[in-house]
Amino acid sequence: MVERTLLIKAPLGLHARAAAKLVRVVNGFESSVTLRRVDGSLAADAKSILDVLMLAASRGTNLQVSVEGEDEDRAIVAIEELFAAGFGELAPESTL
Amino acid sequence: MKPLPQEIRCKGLGVSEGVVIGQVLRLHDGTQHVYHLKIDEAEVEKELRRFRNAVGVAGGQLQTIKEQAEHRFGQDHAYIFDAHQLILEDKKLLADIEQEISGNRVNAEWAIKVVGDRLLFLYSQIKDNYLGERVSDIEDVMRRLLVALSGKATSNSELSQEAIIVSHDLLPSAVAELDLEHARALVTDTGGWTSHTAILARGVGLPAVVGLRDFYRRTKTGDTIIVDSRNSEVILHPSATTLEQYRAKSVSQSEARVGSEPPAAGPAVTKDGTAVTLRANVELASEFDSVKAFGASGVGLYRSEFLLAKRDGFVSEEEQREAYEKIARVAGAEGAVIRLFDLSGDTFREQAQQLEKNPALGLRAIRFVLANEEVMRAQIRAILRASATGALRIVLPMVADVSDVRRAQAIIEDERKKLGTTTTVSVGAMIEVPSAVFMAEKIARIVDFFELGTNDLVQYTLAVDRGNDEVADWFRTLHPAVLHSIDHSLKAARNAKIPAIVCGEMASTPAYVVLLVGLGATDLSMTPAAIPRVRRTIMGIDARTAYQIVTDCLDCATADEVENLVRDRLTHHWPELFNSTNLPARRPIP
Repeated sequence: MVERTLLIKAPLGLHARAAAKLVRVVNGFESSVTLRRVDGSLAADAKSILDVLMLAASRGTNLQVSVEGEDEDRAIVAIEELFAAGFGELAPESTL
Repeated sequence: MKPLPQEIRCKGLGVSEGVVIGQVLRLHDGTQHVYHLKIDEAEVEKELRRFRNAVGVAGGQLQTIKEQAEHRFGQDHAYIFDAHQLILEDKKLLADIEQEISGNRVNAEWAIKVVGDRLLFLYSQIKDNYLGERVSDIEDVMRRLLVALSGKATSNSELSQEAIIVSHDLLPSAVAELDLEHARALVTDTGGWTSHTAILARGVGLPAVVGLRDFYRRTKTGDTIIVDSRNSEVILHPSATTLEQYRAKSVSQSEARVGSEPPAAGPAVTKDGTAVTLRANVELASEFDSVKAFGASGVGLYRSEFLLAKRDGFVSEEEQREAYEKIARVAGAEGAVIRLFDLSGDTFREQAQQLEKNPALGLRAIRFVLANEEVMRAQIRAILRASATGALRIVLPMVADVSDVRRAQAIIEDERKKLGTTTTVSVGAMIEVPSAVFMAEKIARIVDFFELGTNDLVQYTLAVDRGNDEVADWFRTLHPAVLHSIDHSLKAARNAKIPAIVCGEMASTPAYVVLLVGLGATDLSMTPAAIPRVRRTIMGIDARTAYQIVTDCLDCATADEVENLVRDRLTHHWPELFNSTNLPARRPIP
């Protein structure tokens, strides 16, 4: 199992579009992926959009990401990239 | 012989222009009574298969909807259906429903209802604004599943030419599914000016009246109906007299829409030589074609916040630049006026304003952008950069006085310097709140142009919420206070020698246009489909008479007096242009 704590940079947090993107990426891997609020209050299966939306993770939220499975190393790289890119919602030159 | 059904008139809110006569097509919104059935052990497998089959059917429908939405409304509108697909594919959701079916031995419909309600309850517990929107998405998917289970088709491919869609509530996916080629109008019990249905209807130029409360249950498919969105009214079982009155009106409308002859372009000129520029209001990419098609002189109002509405609240500087460049190209030589994000509680519910007690008087429009300076700066940069493509102007929404304008101008100038560009962009002020009207002379001295937003001006001048049915009788566009406000603002612009564009419903309604011309308005911006009829109106009147009429209107004490005067004088001077169908209705004396 690999674990990382990742920061939500997307301006509106994990809203519908960002969540959809995350679920689509995670669904491409065999591994199970769990997102947890670092305060331990909520956990979500990253393959379920309803779960992910329930996190109501706004911009600036830290999420603990746990990946477990055969392709966990590749999966965590893809997930990290997605978080770093603000789910593709950070503008090249500016952040709204 | 059966007596003819009584004519029924119902007042709602006209959210997309037009007058249409046709036949009702009732469209069930998918809400249905869900019965609880206990099933035998032996039936569980069959019920599970029935459920999985429905999921498959619903998934197929969503795929089609998504593709159609991409094609019709652009990629930006389609993403919501991607989220719908993911909800439908959500393994936990499906497992919960299947567990409910097999564990509690209930029918699939009941299982969907139980699991769906539980989910909606959980979401409603979360104090986060954007999740409010998701509740309607979950409902939409659940309804789709229930309809799929019932075996009813939701697609309306066999709409007849005359179909006027009547529904209690049209969800976004239902609108996207409509055969819009053949739908003539939309009529719903729920919804308001900024509901998704209203936005999409305006986007494709389909007349729509919403907020009719209990109209749906009174209709049968095939009933004759008149949809008159200009009067915010629908008429069921119209009498022969009513039909006759409306036929003339409807014919001229459809001519305007089909546009068999090439549209006249350039300014419209009154009989006595006053030229009036006619511009287009646009918000969606699907409307861009109509700018040229209806002979508009460029874009008088681009409501940039729609970029956000369809993108779930975020749009990057680059995306904005592309959108503004597109607008500049569509607008051509006459250019386009970009209104800075006019965000408010009712146009953009997932933003923080939902928590405000009184969003109409809250942190919105120019106040919102000044408070979110980074958002504003990114938008300004996008506009400045896009202005290399074509003539763009910026208009500041809802300014109260010169201080709002100065703050915005300083930021625009700062960004211009930072970009190192020499191009300057004209900056105007929306005049739409009473303080701006009172301070119009001062504002006029420091801006390049005025833009009068008449819808908000009526709302704020009369302190009447346009979306609130309870006070609909107080929303009087022809109130003398409104006319005085417009008169004062236009005079301030003339004295400062700056142009003034008038937009809003007044600019697109022939009877009101006469008064605007009388007040000296020479630049109007409206929904593109209204341009031909406004052009016809202006070409048929003379500014001198319009001036005399409006001068008398300014002397009136009440909206009723103005309406009576307008009705009498307009039919007297221009009987070929005005009749009872396109003038304010005579109100019953209380």
